Amino acid sequence: MSIYLYSLMCYGLTAAISFLVVGMIVLINKVMSRKSSKSEA
Amino acid sequence: MDILIQLFPGISSLFIQDPIIAVGRIALIFLGMVLAYLGFKRTLEPLIMVPMGLGMLAVNAGVLFLDTGVTGTLMLNPMVSETNELMTIMQINFLQPIYNMMFSNGLIACLVFLGIGVMSEIGFILARPWLSMMVAVFAELGTFVTIVIGYKLGLTPGEAAAVATIGGADGPMVLFSSLIMAKDLFVPIAIIAYLYLSLTYVGYPYLIKLLVRRKYRGIDVEVVIPDVPAKNKIIFTIIVCTLLCLLLPVATPLILSFFLGVIIKEANIEPFQKVLETTVTYTSTLFLGLLLGVLCEAQTILQPKVGILVVLGIVALTISGIGGILGGWVAYLISKKKYNPVIGIAGVSCIPTTPKIAQKIVSEENPYAMILPLAMGAGVSGLIVSAIATGVFVSTINMVGG
Repeated sequence: MSIYLYSLMCYGLTAAISFLVVGMIVLINKVMSRKSSKSEA
Repeated sequence: MDILIQLFPGISSLFIQDPIIAVGRIALIFLGMVLAYLGFKRTLEPLIMVPMGLGMLAVNAGVLFLDTGVTGTLMLNPMVSETNELMTIMQINFLQPIYNMMFSNGLIACLVFLGIGVMSEIGFILARPWLSMMVAVFAELGTFVTIVIGYKLGLTPGEAAAVATIGGADGPMVLFSSLIMAKDLFVPIAIIAYLYLSLTYVGYPYLIKLLVRRKYRGIDVEVVIPDVPAKNKIIFTIIVCTLLCLLLPVATPLILSFFLGVIIKEANIEPFQKVLETTVTYTSTLFLGLLLGVLCEAQTILQPKVGILVVLGIVALTISGIGGILGGWVAYLISKKKYNPVIGIAGVSCIPTTPKIAQKIVSEENPYAMILPLAMGAGVSGLIVSAIATGVFVSTINMVGG
């Protein structure tokens, strides 16, 4: 694989995994917050 | 004459060694003095630079004639790999055990990361999660541009990738990646990385002022930090740690160390927290600085590739800084002018230095603007992105040129 393509691929992979991680954090936080507000009600 | 040579080997060896090495030794002794002094003056990071400067001058001054007739020191020899020789040398060189047991296997990098984890507040990411991560991804630009430049300048793919990780601005990460991908160059790469990371405090403010006009620097931002219960933070720390270890097994030691630090903080395990925040972090940093200095022997440093590394290190950090601010501008536009572009610099990571720089620059224009929580969010995101980028490189580097 050429170095240009490799660099682009790695940047893309890094971005995708990073957004996956933040998506997980946001999702878990939302689910947990909803659960705790339901139990409070 | 022979008596004088034997009596003062540190000086006499200068006249016996290759002149280039001798001149290199003298230059490194002076450089060590300068680094230690600039650390003392707080121009450079004192925690690293004072022990590093002293180690550098000591290893280049304290050269003696060994039994075999060659010159050497009683500090450490990073080139020994044969088992019997290593066992013998461990009983002679006073820093050899620490080098082999803590440095060359990346343990010291993991211990520093453990300390960073304990000091990080993962809740800051939740203030503006998507924007923080986007800025951090932009701020990784230097890494991916530098790998191309390094490769084109004649480095192997592994060496180019290792030096490119300087763009992620995390010392432990650079140490870890160069140990895996560029074992022969990890000493100069690590030294250059820590030297430049110390210089970010001096250089990045100029970069920000160049790329963000005064009227935009003082923009105040509305920061609502969600009140996230510790239980939630622990659950997403566990899940994210598992996910990252599954995706990037090669970066597991660093990922584990960072998230272990985070979870100890969130679980409020005070005895661990205290020992990690102070004893472990500062002991590791002290030995890291000392070992980096002691590894700066003229023979190790004077390699033809070091000139290229010096250039690539600064290129990586500069492009990452530009990328971060570019990300800050994109976030400013996406958020309809409710984001200060200066925060972008914090996405480069290097926490807590870059968030502090961002807050300082903003405060100069608007003393009432508080952007630090958002900058810390971008900084923690930057740390995660750097770990991911390192993991991606280590896992896939053999795909280049195949």
